[in-house]
Amino acid sequence: MAHEVELQTAGNMWKVMVKPGDQVKAGDTLFIMEVMKMEVPHEAPADGTITAVNVSEGEEGLDAGAIAVVID
Amino acid sequence: MLEVIKAGLETSVQDYPGRRGYLNLGFPWSGAMDSWSFRLANILVGNEVGTAGFECQFIGPTMRFQCSTVIAVTGADMQAKLDGVAIPMWESVAVSSGQILEMTFARTGARGYLSVAGGIDCPEFLGSLATFHKAGIGGVERGAIKVGQQIRLGDGTGTAGRRVKASARPQIATDKSWQIEVVRGPNDDWIDEPGHARFLEAQWKLSSKSDRSGFRLEGPEWSFTHKALHKLPEHGSDPANIIDQGYPVGAINLAGQTPIILVSDGPSMGGFINPYTVPQCAFWKLGQSKPSERYLFKSISVDEAQQRARDITSLCNESSII
Repeated sequence: MAHEVELQTAGNMWKVMVKPGDQVKAGDTLFIMEVMKMEVPHEAPADGTITAVNVSEGEEGLDAGAIAVVID
Repeated sequence: MLEVIKAGLETSVQDYPGRRGYLNLGFPWSGAMDSWSFRLANILVGNEVGTAGFECQFIGPTMRFQCSTVIAVTGADMQAKLDGVAIPMWESVAVSSGQILEMTFARTGARGYLSVAGGIDCPEFLGSLATFHKAGIGGVERGAIKVGQQIRLGDGTGTAGRRVKASARPQIATDKSWQIEVVRGPNDDWIDEPGHARFLEAQWKLSSKSDRSGFRLEGPEWSFTHKALHKLPEHGSDPANIIDQGYPVGAINLAGQTPIILVSDGPSMGGFINPYTVPQCAFWKLGQSKPSERYLFKSISVDEAQQRARDITSLCNESSII
């Protein structure tokens, strides 16, 4: 079953730790956003393989709710 | 009592009008950034407009209520749910003991407000319950709320089903663009006319390096008058330097070439010029804007700014409730 990881906040993309094909375990950090001088890490909700990464480092003005990463 | 299950992003207790009267000691006003939405949340649950409630920023908290009460959610739409069922915003809602309130990311706006009948019971510091994170004062245990905290609530009885008229609510921008009112000064005579024109014509971008102390802006260069360029050395070497002075709340503080709006938790003095000031009537817009959104500044008079603030205050009362 595919898991879609949404952006939990508006803000900028500071770091992206995964790329398509990577194996991840539940709880691994996938990417870190920046808002209000704070880091907002987003973690994998389940074990699986990254099938899509729709964000890149340095992107600005992202909207909350957008699907950033898909894990299958 | 209520228990914090998820804290959200620097969720804090704030009040209105904040910690007034101590700028000379370096304590900012603090308080709710969008005090329009905040005051309406309090009215909905039967509180005085200034009663302490929660300011939820970008990502809201999840909390379990350990008593029955009445709550209201206003401001940014954080998709509030009670035991998994969506609840209306701008309306008082009954909560039973044991129910879980979940707020997630802000779909529109940036700051959501949660009021509880009777308010939040935490210690007062210098006449206010407002949290000022950077000094570790006010709020729950002197900072943002944390997972596992048990937060005491005040005594109050609210009535469910009270709603704010649509016409009395702030209209949160959905096109990432805001017109922000400004008043000239106090140091407007340090900027030349082309500099003023660029400031008022540009679409300024709100940086993500912004928080409750300062909103950093990205935009065109500033240019200066003779007064800034040929001054006594004690003012400092940069054209934007000035002998340390008091800063008005809302000052657009020019740090070299970078303007930073000094907002609710901002410093009260320093050595940069402030060519413009954002008046209180526009603070709700600052509170509801997100990084990378655009500001177009509109210069208004002090009288107009004060009238607009009175207009907002006139909406923050029982006549706005249906």
